[in-house]
Amino acid sequence: MANQAKHAIEVENLTKRYGNLLAVNGISFTVRTGEVFAFLGPNGAGKSTTVEIIDMIRRPTSGKVRLLGMDVTKKKRAIVPRIGVLPQDFSSFDRITVRETLQFYSRLFSRGNADIDGLIELVHLKDKAEEQYKNLSGGLQQRLGIAIALVNDPEVVFLDEPTTGLDPRARREVWEVLLGLKKQGKTIFLTTHYMEEAEILADTVAIISRGMIIATGSPAELIENNTNYLVLTLQSVDANVVEIIRKLGFEPVHDNHQDLKVRVEHTEDILKTLNAIKDAGGSFLSLDVRRPNLEEVFLKLTGEALHAGPAENGEVG
Amino acid sequence: MKLRVIRANLIVKLKTFYRERTAMFFTLAFPIILILVFGTIFLDRDKLSLDLYVQDLDHSQASARFVKTLQFNGNFKIIEVDPATDAREYAQKHKLNLILVIPKDFGILHDQRADNKTHDASVILRYIYDPSSTSVKTKMEYLNMEFAGMNQRMSGRPPFYRWEETSILNQKYRFIEFFIPGVIAMAVMIASLFGTVNMNTELLQKGIIRKLSTTPITRTDWILSNILYQFALAIISTIAMLLVSYWVFHVELHINGWLLGFILLDVFAFVGIGMILTRFVQEAQSAVAAANAIVFPMMFLSGSFFPIEMMPGFLQTFARVLPLYYINEGLRASMIFSDNLAALRYAAIIGAFAAVFFTLGITATKWEEGK
Repeated sequence: MANQAKHAIEVENLTKRYGNLLAVNGISFTVRTGEVFAFLGPNGAGKSTTVEIIDMIRRPTSGKVRLLGMDVTKKKRAIVPRIGVLPQDFSSFDRITVRETLQFYSRLFSRGNADIDGLIELVHLKDKAEEQYKNLSGGLQQRLGIAIALVNDPEVVFLDEPTTGLDPRARREVWEVLLGLKKQGKTIFLTTHYMEEAEILADTVAIISRGMIIATGSPAELIENNTNYLVLTLQSVDANVVEIIRKLGFEPVHDNHQDLKVRVEHTEDILKTLNAIKDAGGSFLSLDVRRPNLEEVFLKLTGEALHAGPAENGEVG
Repeated sequence: MKLRVIRANLIVKLKTFYRERTAMFFTLAFPIILILVFGTIFLDRDKLSLDLYVQDLDHSQASARFVKTLQFNGNFKIIEVDPATDAREYAQKHKLNLILVIPKDFGILHDQRADNKTHDASVILRYIYDPSSTSVKTKMEYLNMEFAGMNQRMSGRPPFYRWEETSILNQKYRFIEFFIPGVIAMAVMIASLFGTVNMNTELLQKGIIRKLSTTPITRTDWILSNILYQFALAIISTIAMLLVSYWVFHVELHINGWLLGFILLDVFAFVGIGMILTRFVQEAQSAVAAANAIVFPMMFLSGSFFPIEMMPGFLQTFARVLPLYYINEGLRASMIFSDNLAALRYAAIIGAFAAVFFTLGITATKWEEGK
């Protein structure tokens, strides 16, 4: 019983196969009660397949999944009232209003006393409560989806790519809602391919690639354990600065904004580099020193970008 | 099965239907328009009035009496053609399918015969007609019948062959009374089949069914609420059709439990077919095309609009394998002929069909992704 209270989700050797395609390859992990757990990986890595097995939309090929201490393949009826799900590409009834949609789902869960107004308030949809679903923007539709996932006051909330396809502002609005849920102490299982989303929201991140979990830990732990360097970024550098840095034994590279990035191991290396540029008469507009982020950890671990297309590795999402 | 879940789903469907004006039009207004159009075309067929162009070259009292007799006894609407014009050219120019020409000596010959001065005196009435016209033969047959009657009356002797009519039905029924049960069966079929196909493909494509599968609603709740919704629509649509039929055409049809029974079986059969279609054709447009391929032969070959006896033998055989035929016949057996035994026979056949297809439909409906 103590184990059940500690872990909301326990996954053991989970496998999902579609014909010859191995979408999920024997993964195991646990999610602590009350934490925000983010499944981070590119499209096609197996994130959605895994979450859809846990929230009982799909059935596993093999392996064990226990949700709230119960086997998901045997206890669906008992589990369903205790979880909330925002599936990938969520959609609802076009001509039903925000309020009516929430009333409909609360009736499905027999929650006659559901606080519909409170939910509408929580996802900041008060002004749109009487608006039909088809008239809502993508961001507002996603927020309604989150409200629906909360209509039964669930213990565990599954959010499958809740911000995919949203503009940066709408994405931040959804994050605000999720941070509110985190404060309420809900266990949240989040899948995303946005590194920033996982870093801001998650207590624990599992990185999945080609159907396998390749690293697990808090964002800070993942960065700490998988990187041993700092990134020095120089903006608007002279043409000769690249050569100066190369002579020091580092490998500078230009990023998308034409800023120069240099990986160094120690803080002394930064001073050494800056002094060398100064001594050679080189110049730059500004500089930034930071630890690597999750995206760089992911690149290092997998050799593939987080935003890889679904067809690139032939796997199912 | 949870009643409150079914009720919640039913409310959402009815609200969507109410707010979807196009669906409302095709479900409620379209069958009523069909009834009004066909009912008006075939209104009071017994009192059919045909236009008849007459060129009276004689202009005698006898020819005037003859024309009047045609007008009142034959129920023709007489339009006179100027005797000075060439009747053939006139017909061509005005696209007329028939002009009856009364010859110049009509009055003299008529008097000779009437006064018994010349026993074999006869007059030739000329039909100037367009043989390519589809309705001219009917008009000419009506005229021939009328002339036969006039000839018989002129002989002054009672006819030898007489007849009397005894209907096997308790009452005579009109075309509109034959037509309405067919339209009811057809409208319920279309609403149930297209309603199921449109709803299921939309919900599948949009992923709403995936979301619903994470809630306590079960596949049984979902299908039952769909059946209830389609049945409610069918009842509303049928009431609207019957009200218009009684109000506009004063039909005499028997409304009883059989009507409800056949509507329910109609709904079960075609919701079942709709569920099977959406399993195999998941793209909305393909599913609608497949539904059309089912609906059109049913509409025209199963006797919804006219008796199948009017069709060639092989098509009659084909009609008897169509489920809609048994609903049409069952509804007519109960609504027109009050023949409970026949209604029971048709209900048993369509009931068996509905049971098989509804069961297959339930099996075909995906609710959870397979293993």
